[in-house]
Amino acid sequence: MHKLALIAALVFPLSSAAQDHTPTLIDVTENHILPRFTTLAEATEVLNATAQEDCASESQDLRAAYSTAFDAWISASHLRFGPTETDDRAFAMAFWPDTKGFTPKALSKHIALEDSAVASPDAYAETSIAGRGFFALERMLYDPEFAQQGSAAYRCALIQAISADIDANADAMAADWQTYAPELTQPRADGPYRTQDEALQELFKALSTGMQFTSETRLGRPLGTFDRPRPKRAEAHRSERSLRHVELSLVSTRDLAARLSAEHPEITADLETAFNRAIESARSIDDPALAGVADPQGRFRIEALQQSINDIRQIAATELGPTLGISAGFNSLDGD
Amino acid sequence: MTSRRQFLAGLAAASIAPIRGWAAAGAPDYLAAGLFPDESFRLAGLSVEGDILFDVPLPARGHAAAAHPTESLAVAFARRPGTFAVVIDCAGGTERIRLQAPEGHHFYGHGVFSADGTRFFATENKYETGEGRISVWDAKTFERLGEFSSGGIGPHDMRVMPDGQTLVIANGGIETHPETGRTKLNLPVMRPNLSYVSLKGGLLEQMELPSALHKNSIRHLAVRGDGLVGFAMQWQGNQTEHPPLLGLHRMGRDPVLLSAPAANQRHLQGYAGSVAFSTDGATIAITCPRGNALHRFDVQSANFEDAFALQDVCGLGAGPDGLIFTTGTGLFGALSQAEPKVLTRSDCQWDNHLIPIRSFA
Repeated sequence: MHKLALIAALVFPLSSAAQDHTPTLIDVTENHILPRFTTLAEATEVLNATAQEDCASESQDLRAAYSTAFDAWISASHLRFGPTETDDRAFAMAFWPDTKGFTPKALSKHIALEDSAVASPDAYAETSIAGRGFFALERMLYDPEFAQQGSAAYRCALIQAISADIDANADAMAADWQTYAPELTQPRADGPYRTQDEALQELFKALSTGMQFTSETRLGRPLGTFDRPRPKRAEAHRSERSLRHVELSLVSTRDLAARLSAEHPEITADLETAFNRAIESARSIDDPALAGVADPQGRFRIEALQQSINDIRQIAATELGPTLGISAGFNSLDGD
Repeated sequence: MTSRRQFLAGLAAASIAPIRGWAAAGAPDYLAAGLFPDESFRLAGLSVEGDILFDVPLPARGHAAAAHPTESLAVAFARRPGTFAVVIDCAGGTERIRLQAPEGHHFYGHGVFSADGTRFFATENKYETGEGRISVWDAKTFERLGEFSSGGIGPHDMRVMPDGQTLVIANGGIETHPETGRTKLNLPVMRPNLSYVSLKGGLLEQMELPSALHKNSIRHLAVRGDGLVGFAMQWQGNQTEHPPLLGLHRMGRDPVLLSAPAANQRHLQGYAGSVAFSTDGATIAITCPRGNALHRFDVQSANFEDAFALQDVCGLGAGPDGLIFTTGTGLFGALSQAEPKVLTRSDCQWDNHLIPIRSFA
């Protein structure tokens, strides 16, 4: 009897009190998620239209459209669940990190074979995921190694195919997010989220993994170690967007954090202060490709930025997480 | 029908009396790492009732351990990506030696002694190239003798097959690099496998899951006396999908995947922590700390039997009658019949794995 009671008492972690979270869920969905995917679909449409007009890799219009569309993706990319994950769409948008150099290999192969998949969006979507998305396009627009490979006509067709594929992918995400939105705002027994708590937990996970990626991967990969910094591992360093991605992701996750914590104003304030400190830190660094990881002074500022992001993560984990019923088990958090 | 010869053979194999060398360490039945009330991480020897018979401090959080088949010797691994493994003399409660991964490598959390106790094997990551490696050590001097390919990326758990001549390795498929902590670097192209290799590193057989399941990382293993391998997985794909997290494989055959009904499976958050066969080999179970559940299956039919709610349950091993589990909340319990029974509750937070020292068969 005693033992059964003991087990029963240990069954589930504390769940948050029965409170109606509908306003939070609606706010996050309608004012954070959906607008980001709409913006992304619009920006990629401009990218695609521009590429069809002018496919020269050094075209200023094309590079500008590329930059705007990539901004829109980075600002949405922490929302990596539901329609964003379906069919590996997030990886098809941004295949990074690319530790084995699959992206240049995939592109060189297309060029060497003059792969006819570039003629049809459906066919291109079936090719190697590493040859798709913004990092493939970055190689074609900014990497001198690709400026001369193959014929100009084929390079043009490849740039157009990648742009069209990015646009189709963004359209599919935007459309599916419209139909998926009610799953978050009105959880149901046989939906992906059965309760409001489960929906909130998904959003919290998006926030925490988004910040983790920025700290550990966007900054951690180029930082490497003091003895062996890795500037060439910075994200999108060819188009000098590395630091910009850190800032964009902070601005975007700050918005999500503010909405998710709205029921607890004191936590909102703590998060806001920490986010502002990190964003200011990012804006004060004049090093777009994070090349400064290799010199002591530049490195110090980038490490300080990383620390300021880890401070936000700590507040999110210790203050916000528990209000959303996030289990903090010894093993469940270990992940091994 | 059990013949007299089989019965006697069974008796000989069964360790009814504690194994010689281990008697000196208080004859523990299990090893488990944990966080103790004084905030120290320790490796403990536990009796079958869950009493702590010895405990030895570890330099950092542990993950799994390996028990020497005859000597009272254990190797405790740091949580990955760890660069050390500690060889512990469990009778004296002292650290005998610390194994260091060579430059450019780190350990991946698991290792195993050869059946004859002369060799020790550890899973490693050669991180600049992202290759899985198995290192070979002399189990007396703990000199590093060599290394060979694990047959994939991200090797985690590894066991010796009952023939004593074959290693089975769970290549989880996930590439990581110590500079980016546990960040997973290759999810879109990951391809986990189960590799069978000879003790010298010759690849004998490899099992891959169907491509739709290429994001199901094969991480932990259990081996039944007849060579049937149970493997537990961690799903890295879309979290609104709830694929099986347990499989059975026999060399030369196709794998069989086991899943609870959707209503139970969806609770698990795509994550299984440990896997074990019951002592009679008739059932197999997985622990799911994120779903706070233990799922039990019938091996013969591959059917789901039951689910038990246990907060932060993770350690799992065969027990005198069925299974023994441990939790991050300090429970040590048995699951033999219909309900789990808590045998001991301590102020320790037990880590991921429970390592049986002897067979109860």
